[in-house]
Formats: sequence, C-alpha cells, structure tokens
Amino acid sequence: MVTNLNLVDFLKEYVINSYTMKPNRVVIEVEASKIREVFSKLSETLDREAYYLATIEGTDFPEKNLIRIDYFVNVFGHNTYLVIRAYLPRENPIIPSVIDLVPGALAGELETYDLLGIIFDGNNYLRRSFFVPADVSSKDIYPLRKDSGV
Amino acid sequence: MRPGLIKEIIKGIFVKPVTIQYPKEQTLIEPDFRGRQYADLKKCIGCSLCAVECPANAITMTKIPDEYVAPKTNARRIYPVVDYFRCVFCYRCVTVCPVNAYLVTNEYRLASSTIVESSELSLSTTTKAAGGV
Amino acid sequence: MVEVTHLIEIPMAVEIPVGPQHPALHEPLLLKLYADGERIIKVDVMTGYNHRGIEKLTEKNTFYRDIFIIGRVCGICNAVHTNCYVRALEYILDVDPPPRAKYLRVLSMELERLHSHMLVLAVTAELAGYETLFMYLMKDREYVMKSKEILTGQRVMADYMMVGGVRRDIDEVKTSRILDIIKRVEERIKYYHKIFQEDVTINRRLRDTGRIKPREALAYSLVGPVVRGSGIKTDIRIQDKYDAYGDIPFNVITEDYGDSYARAMVRFGELYESINMVRYILTHLPQGNPVPDERKLPRRFPVGESYAAVEAPRGELTYYVSSSGGDKPYRVKIRTPSLNNIVNSAFTYVDQMIADVPIILGSFDPCISCMERAVITDLRRGVRYQVPLKELGGVRK
Repeated sequence: MVTNLNLVDFLKEYVINSYTMKPNRVVIEVEASKIREVFSKLSETLDREAYYLATIEGTDFPEKNLIRIDYFVNVFGHNTYLVIRAYLPRENPIIPSVIDLVPGALAGELETYDLLGIIFDGNNYLRRSFFVPADVSSKDIYPLRKDSGV
Repeated sequence: MRPGLIKEIIKGIFVKPVTIQYPKEQTLIEPDFRGRQYADLKKCIGCSLCAVECPANAITMTKIPDEYVAPKTNARRIYPVVDYFRCVFCYRCVTVCPVNAYLVTNEYRLASSTIVESSELSLSTTTKAAGGV
Repeated sequence: MVEVTHLIEIPMAVEIPVGPQHPALHEPLLLKLYADGERIIKVDVMTGYNHRGIEKLTEKNTFYRDIFIIGRVCGICNAVHTNCYVRALEYILDVDPPPRAKYLRVLSMELERLHSHMLVLAVTAELAGYETLFMYLMKDREYVMKSKEILTGQRVMADYMMVGGVRRDIDEVKTSRILDIIKRVEERIKYYHKIFQEDVTINRRLRDTGRIKPREALAYSLVGPVVRGSGIKTDIRIQDKYDAYGDIPFNVITEDYGDSYARAMVRFGELYESINMVRYILTHLPQGNPVPDERKLPRRFPVGESYAAVEAPRGELTYYVSSSGGDKPYRVKIRTPSLNNIVNSAFTYVDQMIADVPIILGSFDPCISCMERAVITDLRRGVRYQVPLKELGGVRK
C-alpha cells in the first residue's frame, strides 16, 4: 500500500516543493518541462486501475507575472489525491501536453487553453472561440485572466 | 422477457389521473414553502444589508414616501423593494436581516405581464400619517 | 503517359448532425456523427450553446453570494454543487458543522440522487422508445420532489447549504412524512427495476450498446455510475467520507459488463442504497441545532486554498476554491462530472449503430448546463486519422 508519504517519495527526483492542501491533498511542485516525465513515472509505478486525472486547473497571478497550472490526480486505489503543480511565465505559457499519456486530459487541456490561454504543446485539438462567444475570443481575450476586462 | 407494464396501464384506465387541472384546482404547497417575501416597515431599519447580500441584485433601497410613517430606527427613511422577476427566492435577505423584518409567505403565483414588486405590500404594513411624520 | 504514384482514398462518410436542437436530446449539444452506412466511424462533440461564465462570475461576487449563484449551475444537482462549494469554504475557514447538520446535508443530497437517477432512468426508457415507462417513472419521481420540498422549502432549488450547517431544521411531522413517501417510492422502484430486467424493448435496446472497458474508462477519466458500470469501485463518498458519509452505512454498487444496461443497473442499485440511507438518517438523526446564524458568519476569509470533491448523482464533482484574503474568492474552479463524461466519451460511439447514439448518450446522464462553462471539441484519436477540411482552419498547429 502506497501511503501519502511514498507518493512524494517515488516522484522525489521531480519534486521542488511539497505541502498539503486542505483537506489532506498532497501537493507537489514540479518543473513545467518535466510534466510528461512525472505522468510516465506515475503510470509506471501505480497500477493503471488505481488512479485517474480528475481535472486541470489554471490560475492567473498578474502581480507575480506567473500562471499556475494544477493537475488533480485522484489516486482512489490508495485513497488519496495528488496535486501536481507547475508555474509558467505569463507572456509565454507553454507546457507539454500529456494527452497521449492520459487521454482524459483532453477536456481539461482544452478548457484551460480556452479560458486562460495556456498552450499545451503537442495537443492538436486546441481551438479558440468555443466557450466564449466569437466576439470576445476574436479579440484574443482569455476571460479568466485577471486583466481580461471581462 | 415480456412487456411488463400492461397490467399497470390497464389499472391506470380506471383510476383518477395524478395530474390536476391547475387553475381550477390548486397545487398543494407546503406552508413553509419559500414564496413571496417582503419587508415589514414597522421593523425595517433601512440598513441595506439585504440589498448588498442579494445574489440576484433583486433588491433596491427606495425612499419611503413622505406620507407614510417610518420608525425612528429607520433614520434614512429607506426600505427594500424586491423585484420578483429577478428574485430567485433563496431567502438570503430573510436570514441576514439583523431585525428579522421580512415577512414570508408561501405565495408562488407571481406570473404577470406587468412588473411585480414588493413596494405595495411593504407599504401596507405601515400606516399613513396625516401631514407626514 | 502519366504514372500513378499516389492513391488517394476518399472514404464515403456521411456527416449527420445530432443537435443542438434534436428530439433525442433534452438540452443543447451537438454530436457530429460521421457514419459509414449504419456504422459510426467518428464523433465530434461540439458544445457551447449554454455557456454562462459562472467561474468568472464567482470571482466578481462575495463568498456568500456565490453559494446561491453556484446553486444555479445545475438545477437537478444544486444541493451537491452548493455542498461541495460550502465545504471548500469550510476547509478554508476551519469550521466543522454540527453532526445534525451533516446528517441533514446527506439527506438532501441523497434525495437529490434519488430523483436524479429516476429522471435518467425515465429518459433512458424514453430514448429506447418506451414513453409509457417514462411517464410512470416521472410520476413517481414527483413524490421525491415533494419530499425535497418538505425538507428544503422548494422542490428544485434547495438553497439548503450554508457555511457551518444547513438553512432549516426538520421536525417530527416532516420526518414521518418523508418516511411515508420513501416507503411508497421504494415499492415503485422495485417494480420498475423488474420491468427493466424483464422488458423486451429495454433489454434489446440497452444491452451491448456503448460498452466501455474498465481500463478505457479510467484512461479517459470517466466518473460516476459510468465507471462503476465498468466494474471500477470508485466513490468519493467512500474515499473522502465527507459530511456524515463516514457514519452512515452504504454499499458501492458496481456492474462488470460496462454497457448501457449495466449503467442503468448501477443506478437502480444506488436508488436502493439511497433509500436505505434516507431511512437510516431519519431514524438516527442526532440532536442539536443545525442552523447557523447567518448574521454572525465571518465576512472576510483568510488566505488559503482548498479542493473539495463530492459524489454527485453523475459522478465526482470537484471544486477548487482559492482565497487571497478579503470577501471575494480569487479563483473558483468547477469540474462537473458531465464535462468528463460527455467530452471524453466520444470514443464509445465508434462502431455503434446510428440509432444507438441517443441511448449511449442518455446512459451517460448528460447534464449540459452543468458542463457548459467551457467548450470543447473532440476528434477520435488512433482509429482512423481524418480531419474534415472545414475544420483544418480552426485547428491550432
């Protein structure tokens, strides 16, 4: 049985910082460019029928000039939640796509691209002007950015 | 494997329908159903908290007309008017009111072609004074 | 003489739009089917007909106003939405509601699961062409709605959750009335369960349609009764033991086969579990005052973040709430089960019949208003690579 501690342990070569989010979610901060390695390591170590990617969430921090991206992984086989967190520069938010490793990332990646403009490198299905009406998206506005004015 | 509903359908022919003829027959509503609510002007202190907290922005604070009596606690002489077309009947105004000034009813029949709001109901809770306050 | 160097193969595929307004769909969604004869070779899920920007709206309103805004994300599962958000706020504030409030929260959520599952089973029957069963199921669903009205004050919009408890208490009279209704509904559900098992129409239409293997279900992040119908035992109620789910006994229902019929059977199993839970709650209700004084709740929130998950009728529903201090949330992220179940499930339609598409979609219990805060398109990967010409312009390289 892998406990919370071990989860951080077997990913420790990638972990920059780790802490818990309320209530008892394990957060690990990783390098954005290493995200594919983290997910391959995850699928090697854990049984494929023990976890799934619940969602991808992005937050904009204009004052720090960063965009944060969180991958919420429900490791239900071990009754725990893993949050993989990475920071991207705000001008050029590019992160490698994990869509071929975890097909379930599709919904989250497209949503985050639409709302926040994070570009998932390797995902060929990213498209604008779906969720926001065409008049907003044609102006290149990402509504969830704090300075979008929406 | 066979069609199973036949018996039920035949039985259904002889019993009264579960649907009702609405305007002739009234729907049975719980006495504490969240229906139309309005402010009692004898209690309201005009603090505007309900207008601030309303998630639908349905409440506007309005001046009490001069001919109506307002309590001394309501120094600014304003009271909340609920626009029932915007109201979502969450009763947040009822629960945040510091003086419990809201009167609640289970009235749900609010469809109308003209604007429905609470000013008339609220004003009916107070009295008209001859020559103002 | 021209030498042939390339053979260009043009597959004969017919594009059939299902939706956004379509007799088989109850809410706006566009499924673009590419069919070769009667067989489907690809499905694009096109959404965006119902987007309301609620995540942005929550950033502009205070924490408490958001509770009621979030209840309006989805009509059918409004209690679970508010519960998830309110618990996320409670984690930030470090507030623990009294036991009676926890029990009442579970009661309202289980009543909601009851009427939501009854709705989707009715819709499944309707999509299979069995409208009489639809009518009968909806008739009995109305009794559950009535019990929700008795408990929360309105038959649909509960607005029942508040930070630190619930918004109204329940007394002896109401308890016995809900118990009466539940007893009546249980008999009816047993009857409908038998019909689903025995009826020719239902069995022929539902069996072997939209089969999902357990491995695929997890890889594509499907949740709720869909993944439980494929034999995976995952349930946030067991995993997080939020509110009173740690005290109330219940079983997680799974079926192995993974087709539309298995998903319907999972829902029937969960109906029985919900009925037992409602009965347990009403007979074991702890004493105390579950209603917090809303005037005394803290207006400003400390800096913090939390991630709450709840098992909605349709699956795992998650809320991420981040507070930067002050009275407004910095970021609220809503991930509804329908987003994963509709958008990621395009692969299940491949190699099915056109006529089975509504059945498969219905078996995912799609809730468009839940899902539509974001919009996505999906191309089936791997099987046959083809991109329609008119889509090439929109695809980012």
